Amino acid sequence: MSESEPLLAALRVCKVYPDGKVAALVDLSLEIARGDYVAIMGPSGSGKSTLLNLLGALDEPDRGEIRFEGKPLNAYGNLDEFRSRRIGFVFQSFHLLPTLTALENVQIPMFEGPLRAAQRAQKALELLQTVGLSHRLQHLPSRLSVGERQRVAIARALANDPPLLLADEPTGNLDTRTANDVLDLFAALHRDRGMTLVVVTHSDEVALRAERVVRIRDGRIIEDTRLCTPRTPTHEIPIIAHAQGRGPDLV
Amino acid sequence: MYFLTFLIKNLTRRKTRSLLTILGVAVAVGTMVTLRGISYGFESSFVESFQHRGTDIVVVAAGQADQLRSDLDEKICEQLQHIPGVKTAWPGLLEMIDITRGTSVSSALIHGWRPNTPLFDDLTLLDGRSLQKGDPHEVLLGTTLASTLNKKVGDTIEMQQEPFRVVGIFRSFNVYENGGVVIALDELQRLMDRKGRVTGFSVVLEPAEDRAGTVERVCKEIETLKDEQGRPYKIMAQESKQYVSGTLYIQLAHGMAWITSAIAAFIGAISMLNTMITSVLERIKEIGILRAMGWRKGRVVRMILGESMLLSIAGGVVGVLGAVLVTRWLATVPEVNGFVRGDVSPVIMMQGFVTALVVALVGGTYPAYRAAHWLPTEALRHE
Ligand SMILES: Nc1ncnc2c1ncn2[C@@H]1O[C@H](COP(=O)(O)OP(=O)(O)OP(=O)(O)O)[C@@H](O)[C@H]1O
Ligand SMILES: [Mg+2]
Repeated sequence: MSESEPLLAALRVCKVYPDGKVAALVDLSLEIARGDYVAIMGPSGSGKSTLLNLLGALDEPDRGEIRFEGKPLNAYGNLDEFRSRRIGFVFQSFHLLPTLTALENVQIPMFEGPLRAAQRAQKALELLQTVGLSHRLQHLPSRLSVGERQRVAIARALANDPPLLLADEPTGNLDTRTANDVLDLFAALHRDRGMTLVVVTHSDEVALRAERVVRIRDGRIIEDTRLCTPRTPTHEIPIIAHAQGRGPDLV
Repeated sequence: MYFLTFLIKNLTRRKTRSLLTILGVAVAVGTMVTLRGISYGFESSFVESFQHRGTDIVVVAAGQADQLRSDLDEKICEQLQHIPGVKTAWPGLLEMIDITRGTSVSSALIHGWRPNTPLFDDLTLLDGRSLQKGDPHEVLLGTTLASTLNKKVGDTIEMQQEPFRVVGIFRSFNVYENGGVVIALDELQRLMDRKGRVTGFSVVLEPAEDRAGTVERVCKEIETLKDEQGRPYKIMAQESKQYVSGTLYIQLAHGMAWITSAIAAFIGAISMLNTMITSVLERIKEIGILRAMGWRKGRVVRMILGESMLLSIAGGVVGVLGAVLVTRWLATVPEVNGFVRGDVSPVIMMQGFVTALVVALVGGTYPAYRAAHWLPTEALRHE
C-alpha cells in the first residue's frame, strides 16, 4: 500500500434493495484517507446508512466495489473476519446485548480474536476505563444512562483495535451534553490513536467536529467539503498505554 | 467471559422455557433408558439363568416363536443323554398360570421340574423344604411371589381350581424365578393336561477343548433325532445365548422398547426444534449485532447448537438419573418386580446420552442454519 492510497474507497457503487423501487445508491464514488474524520450528511432516506453498511462490509453493492487499502473487499475472503479485525461499528440505538453486563458486552467481538478468556476480560476492563466507565463494569445496559450505553458501545467497537470506526447517527438518541462526551471521545480516538472515523449524522454540530463533510441526496454525493487539513497521524497508541497511565486519558 | 458463559446466559434468560425443554429431553432419554434397560435386563437375566446352571444348549420345538407354546415328548430326554459329548440333559415345562387370590386372579410363571435335578441346587430355601418325589399338590413359591400373594409355608394357594400347599419359599439368582412357582414336572403335566409333554430341554455338555465346535455338532445331532417309528422330531437346538435373544418375549420387549424410545426421542427433538426456532426468531436482531461485530456464521451456528447441546446434556443427565431411580423403584413394585432387575447397564446409559446429543443436533441444526444465514443488515433492521 502506498502512502497516497486511500484507506477506504467506494468505486461507482450502486445499491437497489430487492423491494425498493428507487436506487438507494447511484454510481457513488468516495475515497477516505487514512486518519481522516468524515461526516456524512443528507436528508432521511438519502442512502447514508446504506453507504455506511457497504463501507463496513455489512452488505455488498449490486455494482461497483469497495476497496480497503487498495484491495477489493472480496479479496479479503471472509467478510465477517474482515469486519472483526478492521471495522468498529457504533449505532444510533447502541445495539448492546441486554443480558450482558458492560464488561461482557465489550468482550463480544473478541471471541473472533486470539485472546483467552482472562485476557478478554482484562482488555474489556481497560477499554471501559478508556471511555470513563470503570465504575459501571457489572451494570446491565438497562441500568446505564443512554450516554453510558453509547460509551460501552464505543468501547466494544474498539475491542479488536480496528483502524476504522463507522458510526451511524451515534448521537441521535443523546442529549447535547452526552452527545458532546461521545464527540470528545471520537476526537480523542482520532487524535491519539490515529483512527479513521466515518460518522453519519443529521446534526451540524456533529458534522462540525469532523474534518470533512460529505453530503448525499438520492444516493449521490452532492457536496464534499474539507473543513480543515487532516493531521497526519504520527503513530497509533496501543490501548494498553492508556490503561497503564502512560498515554493521555481520552476522557 | 467464556463462550460457554455466554451460552448459559442466553439460556437462563428464558428460564421456564429452558427448564421445560430440559424436561422434554429428560423424559425422552428417561423413557428410552428405562425401557431399554428393562428389556436388556430381561434378556440378560434369561441368559444368566441358563449360564448359571451350565446349560449349553436349549432344545425346543422347531418353528415355534413363542417359547410357552413349544411342546415336545418328554422321552426325547433319554435320547439326548446318549449323544456323545452330552453330560446330562433335563426337561422343563413352563406355563403361565392363574393364581386365585380371593376374588382377584394374578398370573405367574410356573416351572415344572423333575425333583432331584440340579435345577433345585440353585434355589436357596428361605423357609420350609424342597419338593420331594411323589408329593402331589405341593409347590415352592419364589420369594417375590410369596410376598405379593402374602403366603407363608403351610399356606394354600389355588391354581386351576385346585388347592396346593406351599412347602417352601426360595430365592433364586434369577428374578423371574423369584416371581414364579416351582412344582414337580408330573404334577404340572397332570394339572395342565399335558401328560408326557414338556416345553424343552436343557443340555449340559462335557467339558471340551473346542466348545464352539462341540456345540455345533451336538446341535446338529439333536435336530436329526428320530422317534421309534423313524420319523424326525420337529425340534430345534440352539446355544443358550442365541436361543434367548431369539425368543419371542425378548424380541417383543426389545421391539417395544425400541419403538417407544424412538417416538420419545422424536418428540424430544421436536420440542427442542420448537424451542430453538422460537429462541432464534426472538433474537434476530441480536444475531445481527453479533454478525456486525464480526462474528462468523460458524460461530453463530456454534452458539445455537451449543445452546441446544447444553439443554440436551442437562436433559440427558436428568433423564438417565431419573431412569436409574425409576428402574430401582420398579424392581420393588410387587406387580412387576418379577420382571424388572433394579440395575441399568452403563452401555444403555451411554445410549441415553447419545440420544440426547442426537436430539440436540436434530433440534438445533435448522435453527442454527436459519440464524447464520440472515444478512447482518436485515437482522439489524429487525424489531
Ligand atoms: N433493507 C431495505 N429494504 C428496502 N429498502 C431499503 C432498505 N434499507 C433502506 N432502504 C431504502 O433505501 C433508501 C436509503 O435508505 P438509508 O437507510 O440508506 O437512508 P438514510 O440516509 O440512512 O436515512 P435515515 O436518515 O432516515 O437513516 C431509502 O429509500 C430506504 O427506504
Ligand atoms: Mg440511516
